[in-house]
Amino acid sequence: MEKVNLELKVNGETLTVAIFPNRTLLEVLRAEAGLTGAKEGCGEGACGHCTVLLDDQPVRACLTLAVEADGHDITTVEGLAAGETLDPLQEAFIEHGSVQCGFCTPGMLMSAKGLLLEDPQPDEQKIRRALSGNICRCTGYTKIVEAVADAAKK
Amino acid sequence: MQLPGFEYLEPRNLDEALDMLGEHGAEGAVLAGGTDLIVRMKQRLQTPRFLLSLKHLNELDYIREDTGCLLIGAATPLARIIDDANVRARLPAFHTAVSAIGARSIQHVRGTLGGNLCQDNRCRFYNQSAFFRSTRQACHKAGGTICYAREGSDRCRSTCQSDGAPALMALGAAVTLRGAGSERTIPVKELYTAVGDAPLSLHSSELLTEISIPLPGPGVGSAYRRLTFRAAIDYPLVSAAAYVRLGDGHIDEARIVVGAIGSGPLFLVTASNGLQGKQSTDEKALSAAAGMAGSSAGAFIVDNLNADMEYRTAMIPVLVSRALRGALAAAGA
Repeated sequence: MEKVNLELKVNGETLTVAIFPNRTLLEVLRAEAGLTGAKEGCGEGACGHCTVLLDDQPVRACLTLAVEADGHDITTVEGLAAGETLDPLQEAFIEHGSVQCGFCTPGMLMSAKGLLLEDPQPDEQKIRRALSGNICRCTGYTKIVEAVADAAKK
Repeated sequence: MQLPGFEYLEPRNLDEALDMLGEHGAEGAVLAGGTDLIVRMKQRLQTPRFLLSLKHLNELDYIREDTGCLLIGAATPLARIIDDANVRARLPAFHTAVSAIGARSIQHVRGTLGGNLCQDNRCRFYNQSAFFRSTRQACHKAGGTICYAREGSDRCRSTCQSDGAPALMALGAAVTLRGAGSERTIPVKELYTAVGDAPLSLHSSELLTEISIPLPGPGVGSAYRRLTFRAAIDYPLVSAAAYVRLGDGHIDEARIVVGAIGSGPLFLVTASNGLQGKQSTDEKALSAAAGMAGSSAGAFIVDNLNADMEYRTAMIPVLVSRALRGALAAAGA
């Protein structure tokens, strides 16, 4: 196995790394870019905690090889806020108490962000469908769905 | 879970990909969205020496209509198929099946139709971590000689859990398989061998490039129903696809396919033919067909998914009945 050179655009900044092709996007984001917002839950694509945006569309970073993302734009949860100003989604999550243990939150936020980028005014069914790949063991989902609906109004 | 090592191949176009497959296919694997393959590699169920990425093959990402058929490139993301007007309006069984695969965040970029059709069979005794499997003898699928799903079985009984396969089989779809200098188009039915440890008739030097679905005319309806615990992510525990063609209030042709029971999708000929000539409102005939489908498909079931086998068996006629009624409604009966 030989290392390959990658150039990713992560949260607007160019990241150039030389990595082995068997590294996942999640491993590279966490270990090489130091962005530990995206979490490894199941590592099998079932839980959605590692969700990041690839060209504005949500993907499972644990099932995506970093080499497959070469040349693409990646947004992680760290890229949502503009400096000290939180994204409306983040504000809404706080307001609605949509966070309990917090482990699923980065993935929830990114799946929700992907939805709002595609459809800024989704109905509840669309929100539930967009979040259906993300598992939360604490909140019971209702507050998360409410937060996304609220953020869409802002 | 770290992935095993491999050599990463990134062909720039289809011809290059087919040449590479011809050379390395036997020791390699094709990476489309990776939602099935990467998990199996993490679990060390598969450790290919070469991984051939389809990421530059934009030529396999298309949906177009041609001479009464809908042609779909194998690397087309599922989300694009779900949003396609023709699929939505004219191929309800296929639309429901594709919508059910994974979750929206998997359908967007990573999940492809070709990948769904070419996914490997599954079994709860096999699709486990290397650590889990290290505690006991290898099963048929792992190169051993025993089966944990059915005692004494002389062969692998793993289950084909593709959602796309039964729906496309009921719709009479075909797939195009290309190799360097070879091309063949076969019915979806023939893509599946029903052999647990070698479920596809796809050769290692071939790539599934296109799916072709006949676009039905008036009086035709189809539907797909599946049983899962969760609406997203889960693979089906039982699924049923139905296709009906009506003429003058009676059923001219019916096709019933049951998925997630056998080692390949089960096309139930007797149950399907039993509906021929029956009135579309003939409740007795519909119940009889569902019952027949239950006993035919039930013969293939083994206890290898994450649900009770008796429950899955009992749900086969229920899902067939729902799919048939859905298909009849879609046909305007």
